[in-house]
Amino acid sequence: MPPVTRKILIVEDDSSTSAYLAKGLSEAGFAVESCSDGRDGLFLASEGIFDLIIADRMLPGLNGIAMLGAIRAAGVRTPTLILSALGTVDDRIDGLNAGADDYLVKPFSFAELTARIDAIFRRVDRGAGEGQATRLSVGDLEIDLLGRTVARAGRPIQLGAREFNLLEYLARHAGQVVTRTMMLEKIWNYHFDPGSNVVDVHIGRLRRKLEEGFAAPILHTVRGAGYRLSVEP
Amino acid sequence: MAFVWKLVRDQAIDELRRDTVEESEGLVAIYRAGGLPALARTIDEGRANGDRSRIVAVIAADGRRVAGIGPAIVGSGAPAPTIFRIGRMGDSSPWLEREAGYAVREVGPYRLVSGRLLDDWEQEQQGIERALAAAMLLSLALGIGGGLIVTRYVGRRLDRVADVIEGVASGDLSRRVVNPAAGHPGGGDAFDRLATRLNAMLDKTERLMTELRIVTDGLAHDLRSPLARLRAKAEVAVLQADPAQREAAMGGLLIETDLVMRMLSTMIEITRAESVPRDRLAPIDPAALMEEIAELYGPVIEDSGMRFEVGIEAHPPQIVLHRELMTQAIANLIDNALRHAAQGGEIRLGLVIGPDEARFQVADRGPGIAEADRAQALRRFGRLDVARSVPGAGLGMALVEAVARLHGGRLELGDHAPGLIVAIVIPLTA
Repeated sequence: MPPVTRKILIVEDDSSTSAYLAKGLSEAGFAVESCSDGRDGLFLASEGIFDLIIADRMLPGLNGIAMLGAIRAAGVRTPTLILSALGTVDDRIDGLNAGADDYLVKPFSFAELTARIDAIFRRVDRGAGEGQATRLSVGDLEIDLLGRTVARAGRPIQLGAREFNLLEYLARHAGQVVTRTMMLEKIWNYHFDPGSNVVDVHIGRLRRKLEEGFAAPILHTVRGAGYRLSVEP
Repeated sequence: MAFVWKLVRDQAIDELRRDTVEESEGLVAIYRAGGLPALARTIDEGRANGDRSRIVAVIAADGRRVAGIGPAIVGSGAPAPTIFRIGRMGDSSPWLEREAGYAVREVGPYRLVSGRLLDDWEQEQQGIERALAAAMLLSLALGIGGGLIVTRYVGRRLDRVADVIEGVASGDLSRRVVNPAAGHPGGGDAFDRLATRLNAMLDKTERLMTELRIVTDGLAHDLRSPLARLRAKAEVAVLQADPAQREAAMGGLLIETDLVMRMLSTMIEITRAESVPRDRLAPIDPAALMEEIAELYGPVIEDSGMRFEVGIEAHPPQIVLHRELMTQAIANLIDNALRHAAQGGEIRLGLVIGPDEARFQVADRGPGIAEADRAQALRRFGRLDVARSVPGAGLGMALVEAVARLHGGRLELGDHAPGLIVAIVIPLTA
């Protein structure tokens, strides 16, 4: 649970999606405010009181990308997640280039959305605090970001370059769910759905290295969502 | 016409002026050297050549001719010295009737008049005028005649194009303009080029229409089975009393839904790939692109119990590519090999750089495709019957084909002896 209740602004013109989002996010412990067009969204966002904006891309009045541009131009840095039915690779990249912190294609699973929201908040918090950390630790797992070495319970573990990046990403979001698409986007910089179990295979290899010969599992599968690096099961 | 006439006239007068001034200066020089007798002698010698239009006269202060050829009396008194002028002079024939171009110079107490009557170049000028008029009439006639011929010719050529357009507009996309210059790039006239372009455009339109039909048919076909499964599983889930089993059934629903979603997004990607703006493409290192794919898929292939080999040419030139779509296309080829050639036990990823094209290849040791079936397989985007057993495989190949074309390239099937080798061939000039 977040220490302070975080406030999320939902800008979405489809009332059923908006209600679905508001209900789910409220249950997840967020304070939610909704509006249904880009102008209202811009007006509300300009107050700068929100911790996150979730905006549809196609909105009446002012589209999501233009609204985001206006918000950024007004000097408001509130993290923004774009939701859109436009799902091609180029659409996603355009959304991110427009200043969105993340881009999620409709229809989405709620697990994917909350994982991405958690990741955004973690990034914001880190920006304030541990941004320059040179070491990460999760339980008995120690990651040296400068030397790019990993040890568990004092025993060194050999990882490939990509495996190290994967572990670093999981460790930065330790305790949170990280989805397959998030990893594909951040680790491999691919914005398409490869369709097969590519991420699972890489996670499987990483897991064997992290857990073989150790008593407790540390890299957990979260059914229907993704993976979580944590000492708690 | 008037311009040409004036040009000719100005040129003739210029020439006369030059000759006259030169001659008068020569005569003045002779006078200075030998006085009037020498001048008169020179003039008399010149007379011998019988040129009747010539005027060379020494005129006394009262206007009378003292020596030379010219009017007996030039006027009342000596003419004023002048470098060159055109006008009538004298009071008797033939000098009274015709204009002359002449110079008047002071030689002692006398005036030296030298020049030429204008008749011969005037005649020349009239000749030119007559010729010009005739030429104008002739060219007018030729112009009208030629215009009629060209109009009929152009009309006939354009009618052929218009017929084809009309045919296409009424739904017959197979119509083409008959074009003898086809196959000769740069050959033929503007009409042939128009025909070539029009035919190329129709080829593309027809291909797109066919493709759209295939993709739509394929999509409807491919969507039917996951939707049927989805429906069946939903039915089971609704009827499930036990909460744990219901949850499991719901999980199955999500998987089927994701499959349908993935097929839809692939189809959108295919239709978009036809119109991706060029600025989406950037020069990138093809070897790096292939290595990233190898890095991503290597473990997947090995985990499925197959050998994975990579053969990437070192130091290839940069190629203008859409990184993600190209990666997705090659990933689709690997996926296909994983599905259809697992028993072959080997997948080979290769990058081969030729003099003018790059080949991104995925080779397997599976059953392959018989040579006779390859062309048809390509035409139907790999929608072979074997592919039908796995939903969505046809769409995957359609995307590969669309991506190859987006880069101005093509998809090729070859024999890996044994096995299939699929290559996305991209021209290096693009």
